Amino acid sequence: MHMNLPKIDLSALPDLDTLTSAFGSIMHTGRVGGSDDTIIEIMVVIYEIIIQSGT
Amino acid sequence: MHISPELQALRSNDAPQRHTQSELLDLLRGWFGGQIATGVESQFQRFAQGEALTELPALSQLFAPGQSHGSALVDDFTGCMLAFLRAQPLGMVPLRHRVDDFGAALVLCRSGGSALALHVAEGPALMRRPAPLSVTFTPGETHELVLAGAAKTSLVTLDQDLPGRAELGIRQECIAAGDVMSRDGARECQIVQSVSGALVSLKLQRRNQDGALTREFALDDGKFLRQAAGSPRETRLELAAALLGRMGRSDAAPLLAAIAQEEASQSLRWQALRECLGLETSTGFSALCTIAEDAADPLSGPAGALRAQLLETYPVLQGITECRV
Repeated sequence: MHMNLPKIDLSALPDLDTLTSAFGSIMHTGRVGGSDDTIIEIMVVIYEIIIQSGT
Repeated sequence: MHISPELQALRSNDAPQRHTQSELLDLLRGWFGGQIATGVESQFQRFAQGEALTELPALSQLFAPGQSHGSALVDDFTGCMLAFLRAQPLGMVPLRHRVDDFGAALVLCRSGGSALALHVAEGPALMRRPAPLSVTFTPGETHELVLAGAAKTSLVTLDQDLPGRAELGIRQECIAAGDVMSRDGARECQIVQSVSGALVSLKLQRRNQDGALTREFALDDGKFLRQAAGSPRETRLELAAALLGRMGRSDAAPLLAAIAQEEASQSLRWQALRECLGLETSTGFSALCTIAEDAADPLSGPAGALRAQLLETYPVLQGITECRV
């Protein structure tokens, strides 16, 4: 059966009462590495070192 | 700018450095394959895949109270690496690491949401930090062996989950070299208050992959502050759902409807449902009705309210509800 259905506007759809933020986004000011039980997640960063000639 | 002669030499010929790194990699592989670390890496992989620590002797032995083998393991590891670095000071141990004012971490093994890592917390830097005002419960488990130093800690426990707040228990403890602790992150969190000198620990951690949330509460009154996805997978899927929505990929609607109805966090399921409704009204509305009608589903309340709202705005949707019956 074919119905001519309306296109629902996403902005009219409510969010849940309690929003959930992205993974890793809770980071409070008092935190320092290794001082609580947050599981360590280290990203690999490659530093490009530009060596200028003649220095 | 001063560049040391050793580094200067590497600019024209980096072969020695490549050679050093390849030697270090071999050394590391050899160490993991050696007698003292026998089984640690392979059993860590099994731990990361969800096996219980008690089933993995080489790993659980590292965290056995009173008879931990962890200190010998770490001594051997650092001895082995430092001997190499003394001879080749430009070598870089090929393991992930992090260093800042407050301490350092060196990840020995990692897989999925699990890690076996050495952590150092620097006492003087900790003293300069503002006292924490909140506690974060992260779904996962932590096993910790203190290798050196001593610290004053607070073990915060989530004793009772109430609407909008939690009943927290706070126990002051002193930890010192040789101590072994295991914590269930969903209900327990250790906050290091102060350290004399430096605190060195070996930590084995595993994150839950079941859609559980990381939640933050105020330490003074237990008020719920905020929550975040407990695993990267949840956030990744939520982003993918949003992207499919923005791309107008209506062919993804059945997949989004499936995500909305499977075991996952409420947040991910709801976002998938919203995007599905936006992409393909019929598929989305059917999923919405299924969820609304399952009283055992925690999303049935909001789904029921949304269904009523949509039926009021678009009476034609009544046709879909009738088709489903």
